[in-house]
Amino acid sequence: MDKAIEVKSMHAVHAGKEAEKEEEFNAESSQSELNEKEKKIVVPGELLTDKKKRLGEHVYLREGKIFSDSLGFVSESEAFISVVPLQGVYTPRAGDVVVGIISDEKHNGYLVDINSFYANFILKSSRGPVLKLNAVVSAKVFKVSELNEADLGQVRQFYGGEILRVSPVKVPRIIGKNNSMLEVLRNGTNSNIMVGRNGYVWIKDGNAALAVKAIKKIEMEAHLSNLTNRINDFLIENKEVNK
Amino acid sequence: MKEKEAEYVNREGKRLDGRKVNELRAIKIEVGVIPSAAGSCYLEWGYNKVIAAVQGPREVLPRHMADPYKAIIRYTYRMATFSVSERKNPKPGKRDIEISMVSAKALEKAAFLEKFPNTAIDVFVQVLDSNAGTRIAALTAASVAMADAGIPMKDLVSGTAVGRAGGKLMIDLTKEEEDAPDAVDAALAILPNSEEIVLLQMDGIISPKEWREALKMGIEGSKKVYEFQKEALKKKYSGDK
Repeated sequence: MDKAIEVKSMHAVHAGKEAEKEEEFNAESSQSELNEKEKKIVVPGELLTDKKKRLGEHVYLREGKIFSDSLGFVSESEAFISVVPLQGVYTPRAGDVVVGIISDEKHNGYLVDINSFYANFILKSSRGPVLKLNAVVSAKVFKVSELNEADLGQVRQFYGGEILRVSPVKVPRIIGKNNSMLEVLRNGTNSNIMVGRNGYVWIKDGNAALAVKAIKKIEMEAHLSNLTNRINDFLIENKEVNK
Repeated sequence: MKEKEAEYVNREGKRLDGRKVNELRAIKIEVGVIPSAAGSCYLEWGYNKVIAAVQGPREVLPRHMADPYKAIIRYTYRMATFSVSERKNPKPGKRDIEISMVSAKALEKAAFLEKFPNTAIDVFVQVLDSNAGTRIAALTAASVAMADAGIPMKDLVSGTAVGRAGGKLMIDLTKEEEDAPDAVDAALAILPNSEEIVLLQMDGIISPKEWREALKMGIEGSKKVYEFQKEALKKKYSGDK
């Protein structure tokens, strides 16, 4: 029982941090959500604009014009332009909270799979209790090297539950604006849900099967609008069915 | 005894299969056909059928192959045993290895590899059915699969074959036209926005004047291929609601 309480308080901590991080994303996407009809899909190499603008992510400059470098949606304002990709791998960033799985044990530490390019290392001395193979942990990324190797800290272990793998670019949608989607999921299924920025989602208790279905639905429909309401309806409709 | 010279373009400007000299064969592209791959693409180009899958960026094994400044692309072009009329030996031959190498170089020009140091992007292309122009079909499919995998790219890679059969310049040659006695066959791949040439391999002898015209036709044709690629990628995410 203690564990469950610990986990719940963890959520609060992580949720706060994620909210901060997501705000940036939401600020960009909110205005593109408003004019849903103008939401434009672009492919790599497609011309976005020939005006001078601040460059966001997944755009590049050639001969004074701005081009997209990924398959994604354009997010554009007066002075800023970026592309929100529809696919992609997870690249660690300082400040991210990730969910990982212990994949190997060395004499002085553990290798943890965080869905990035390579397994990351946690020193044994940096935490107390012993971790076993396949244990689920959450960790914060403190520092990222130029080779995209993450320095992990604040390691916490999660007991039981299951791991769902989703595409890392869809994670902001699973969390939602100010955690709105995550709240809907938690209230609708009564599950403990921990979303890692790397695309691993830990789910325990409650109607876990329904939570998995709902998250898969979010992943499938991440690029469509009014998602939170639709997921809410979906959870209410299927509340009894999957029990 | 003089054999009657075969006519590759008739008086109405139509080729053996009814196309004009600057017309492509029918192209069909489907994106995301392999769920276990990061990105994938199935492409039909005339009788050519090609399936491409992309894995990564991921850890490079063996480790000494890794480049600490950029990702490496490992391109695997293979023909199925049943893709040609006589059984193809599945052992990778000189041709498979060469095409894999030049295609990897073409994709390297298109992708922003420096974003993923120390990693490898694995591209696998299988040719299921072939009728001339498979290396370009494979490269076209591979670049769509890479875009589907979310790898940042300067541009897609599009291309077509250009050449000459029966004294007439044409694009996208079929096997029959490639076997013409005076045939010139050049595989051409470009980055359509900057018109940068990333792959060019030629068989046969052609004059500089003819070549300049053929290249112009090839670039135009490649841009038509680019439209198909663009449409296929966008189609995956529009539509179903």
